[in-house]
Amino acid sequence: MSADMYQTLPGPVPLRYARLGPSHASRPPVVLLHGFGSDFESGWVRTGWVRALEEAGGEVVGLDLRGHGGSARPHTPDAYLPEVLAGDVARLLDALGVGRADVVGYSMGARLGWEFAARFPGRARRVVLGGFGPSDPFADVDPASPGSGEAPFDRVFRAAVAAPGADPVALTACVRGQMSRPFSPDPAPVGVRLLLVAGERDALAEGMEALAAPGRGDAVVRIPRRDHLTAVSAQAFKRAVRDFLSAESPSFRTS
Amino acid sequence: MAEQTFALPDLGEGLVEATVLEWLVRPGERVERNQPLVELETTKSAVEIPSPCSGTVVRLHASEEETLRVGAALVTFEVDSAAGIVGTVPGGERPTRRVRLRPPAE
Amino acid sequence: MTELSIAEEPVPAPARGPSMQQAINLALEKVLEEDPTTLVFGEDVGRLGGVFRVTDGLQRRFGAERVFDTPLAESGIVGLAVGLAMNGWRPIPELQFDGFAYPALDQIVNQMARMHYRSRGTAPMPITLRLPSFGGIQAPEHHGESLEALFAHVPGLKVCAPSDPADAYRLLLQSVRADDPVIYMEPKARYWDRGPAELAEPTEPIGSSRVVRPGRHATLVAWGAMVHRCLQVADLAAEDGVDLEVVDLRWLKPIDADGLAASVARTRRAVVVHEAPLTAGLGAEVAALITERTFGDLLAPVQRVTGFDVPYPAGPLEPQYLPTLDRVLLAVQRTLEA
Repeated sequence: MSADMYQTLPGPVPLRYARLGPSHASRPPVVLLHGFGSDFESGWVRTGWVRALEEAGGEVVGLDLRGHGGSARPHTPDAYLPEVLAGDVARLLDALGVGRADVVGYSMGARLGWEFAARFPGRARRVVLGGFGPSDPFADVDPASPGSGEAPFDRVFRAAVAAPGADPVALTACVRGQMSRPFSPDPAPVGVRLLLVAGERDALAEGMEALAAPGRGDAVVRIPRRDHLTAVSAQAFKRAVRDFLSAESPSFRTS
Repeated sequence: MAEQTFALPDLGEGLVEATVLEWLVRPGERVERNQPLVELETTKSAVEIPSPCSGTVVRLHASEEETLRVGAALVTFEVDSAAGIVGTVPGGERPTRRVRLRPPAE
Repeated sequence: MTELSIAEEPVPAPARGPSMQQAINLALEKVLEEDPTTLVFGEDVGRLGGVFRVTDGLQRRFGAERVFDTPLAESGIVGLAVGLAMNGWRPIPELQFDGFAYPALDQIVNQMARMHYRSRGTAPMPITLRLPSFGGIQAPEHHGESLEALFAHVPGLKVCAPSDPADAYRLLLQSVRADDPVIYMEPKARYWDRGPAELAEPTEPIGSSRVVRPGRHATLVAWGAMVHRCLQVADLAAEDGVDLEVVDLRWLKPIDADGLAASVARTRRAVVVHEAPLTAGLGAEVAALITERTFGDLLAPVQRVTGFDVPYPAGPLEPQYLPTLDRVLLAVQRTLEA
């Protein structure tokens, strides 16, 4: 894959995105939302996701979230409120003429997937929440100085700002924007089926089972021997998502 | 047929080593180019490495949870042809044609 | 965006006669052995052993002072060769691909080709510039071009293109031992062809062609990978009762005008085949030489079958761009009907 697969969504905060694979009238495209400090390439391309989804014949829309990758990087926390990020996803789908999509998010991208499904009823068909749970990842994080402590998210933050090309000011603003709206499972998305997936050693996904509603056809998968970092590339994760997205009526499973 | 050994590639971002999370192939298995080969963990992320060639896996040079330096031997394949790194080896296609010749009068 | 890719380790030698890659490798090994002033350098030729394995093992054998990697700077590679040659060395630089020769044209044309002349004979340029050339391997842009006409047009340069392993060996020995700069064009598409187990020293002088298949109805003239194509055509023509001679030109500067004339005087028909675009390609020079010398013998105008006057196309279109069997056969038919 080459740099020219990317396109730019214009606007006050221009976003870099990619649309890959064949489009199906019958099946919605899969929108991939990466985690904090990552981007589409690190989160979904290098981990083999695009290859796996394209092989399964699906259409993929990948987006660098604002503040990340090749997208613009505002420096104010307000620019990173969950509803603003969800608005970016809706704006991209509008521009692409996509009415309804499947959404796969990891970590912060999963929070965003939830937010998108809840705020834009009817736009998400099925939503995969990876490496995500109802517990507050920022509980022990100092908003004045993220990365200074020893909470799991502090370590994520330190790795993110150390990456080449990272914008620490934008990433700090992103943390503060996200922290200002702690996650609440209410209201939950309506008319959407959820798949929750995380490594069994993923502390940030603690309690994720509580977000699943068996009556709605939701599913839960725990990946053996994987943590928050290493669950992303797991074949079991990819298989679970492929099955979940292609199944006529997903059934509730635990493993 | 020739054996070819592939090294752990440069993973970018200044990373000099990686740990094998999980092999996705086994010795003796037939593998196609670009088929997922191995999952690796670096200090920053997990990556999936696709197979650089088609062939049969002969040896895996690291066990799971073992850490490798960039450039260290990763996997040995029995490959079908000793190709170069760029382009593809022209196939031994049978010549086909539509034009027929009429010999000159002698 | 780049997916991760993996570099490969050297390929062990097979049991049959050497491939063209290996024949060139053996010729390089021989000249490195017999002449301590020879040096092999270029992009990836040292540690990696070349992207086509042509220099495989040479750095291990002769050390990194005689076989070494250079920066990705083609003008610098040729400029280095010119300076080394002025100081008594016999450089064998490689430009990794045909299309990468363009950045080095200033050094090739303005320095390497004319330094001997400019220095009134005091600074010979015994440089062999190896240039993997021509198409047929579905590689990206700049990896399939045919620059022979460009180089043949420059006074002071010699140009050759072998078509099989045994001849690749001979031509390389000749090129390196010559005191003039030689552009040695390697047909990438034939790198994997195998030849006889024994490789022999050159016996013919620089500038001689050879008849690789004798015939009586028409002469096909080609060089590099198109010799193989012409031999295929000759096989098909034989099924139709047409007996074609195939001449491997080998040297594109100087051209063996006498050898061409001798063949065409016998067959009285000629078709020249090359991968490069038609206009001002070397086929025009070949046609002119044949016409000048055998006009009275010719039964038909000399035909040219070539690539098209377009930029070299992407891999999937190569089979349409390169002279096909049918296009060569049609040209033969035109000479038979005239």
